[in-house]
Amino acid sequence: MSAIWLILTFTGLIVLTFTDPAAVLPTLTAGSGAAANLCITLVASYALWMGFFSLIDKLGITDGLARLLGPITRFLLPSANAKAQKFAAMNFSANILGLGNAATPMGVNTILQLDEGTGMTDDMATFVVISATSLQLVPTTMLSMRASAGSVHPTSVLIPCICATVFSTVLGVIVCKTVAAAKRKNAERKSEKCAFNSIRIAQNAQNGCKKTKAKSK
Amino acid sequence: MSDYVIPIVFLLALVFSLVKRKDAYGAFTQGASKAIDLVCRIFPFLLASLVAVELFSASGAAKALGTFTAPFFAFFGIPSQLCELLVVRPVSGAGALGVLGKIFSQYGADSYIGKCASVIYGSSETVFYVAAVYFSKTNIRKTSYAVPVALLCTFAGYVLGCFLLRFF
Repeated sequence: MSAIWLILTFTGLIVLTFTDPAAVLPTLTAGSGAAANLCITLVASYALWMGFFSLIDKLGITDGLARLLGPITRFLLPSANAKAQKFAAMNFSANILGLGNAATPMGVNTILQLDEGTGMTDDMATFVVISATSLQLVPTTMLSMRASAGSVHPTSVLIPCICATVFSTVLGVIVCKTVAAAKRKNAERKSEKCAFNSIRIAQNAQNGCKKTKAKSK
Repeated sequence: MSDYVIPIVFLLALVFSLVKRKDAYGAFTQGASKAIDLVCRIFPFLLASLVAVELFSASGAAKALGTFTAPFFAFFGIPSQLCELLVVRPVSGAGALGVLGKIFSQYGADSYIGKCASVIYGSSETVFYVAAVYFSKTNIRKTSYAVPVALLCTFAGYVLGCFLLRFF
């Protein structure tokens, strides 16, 4: 982000210095004013939704959802141990409900459990892609922003939004699984080739031996 | 139909809390109390990104970038006014929120541009942040194909979302 921030500010400042230097200070103030206004909106919407989600969590809905997601998790992360699968299911359920703060530690724990010291595995990649393509079904912050921006119909975008979220995640899983399968096939072919080669080398060596034996006779 | 989602979700939660005899009021206020802390934490990032975006668009550079990238976006059916949001979204959640607010005040939340921005913000994650934080306690620094796949799939989701918005 710091690189992007630098590029945006730098370009803006340089262009404005040449075209309209008097506009720089008002622009800066407008930006920070907008941030302050946005914060007021955000406090209201965050308080509402964080209150709601803390209630959801108390009711055990996150745990229930995690249990429901168990079989799916086993399919998605076949090489994971039971602990990793439990953490992953809890991460998914918190992400689906939009509890980002609860999901992050579970995600860190899942990766820790998946890590066997052999570097990046396909299950880790699948897991990260699932989380990074967003699972949240009801994007509460976005809806509140729309409402406070004076939208007549804040939830009108909900269905396309859910379709986009689900599509990106499903596509991500398909791509990861395909890559993993292709890698496995490649590795098998390599080991087959290796075995074949070693047989040939052994045969050659034997033949060589016979030849030398024949010569010595 | 989507109008019913929010009321039903809230109603279900309340009914559940009555059935399970949990203190809904206590849980709600406990969660709500953390909101100010959270906003205080993201405020500096929000401010920095909004100042940068404001400078960038006031200078006309945003418009130039928009025109430059327009053919690319037009090909995928995404309004070219959203290029800043597309760049910031995978990098900074607070930054993207700032850009989203600016798009709403400039074009209106119910315009096609505003709706596309809503879908883009709402349907995706801070990809780079997720990848960095999840691996923060391991020694793995190279996440192989995870980040590129996540970015590409997110973009595919945007394209689908913006396409579907034409019918909503």
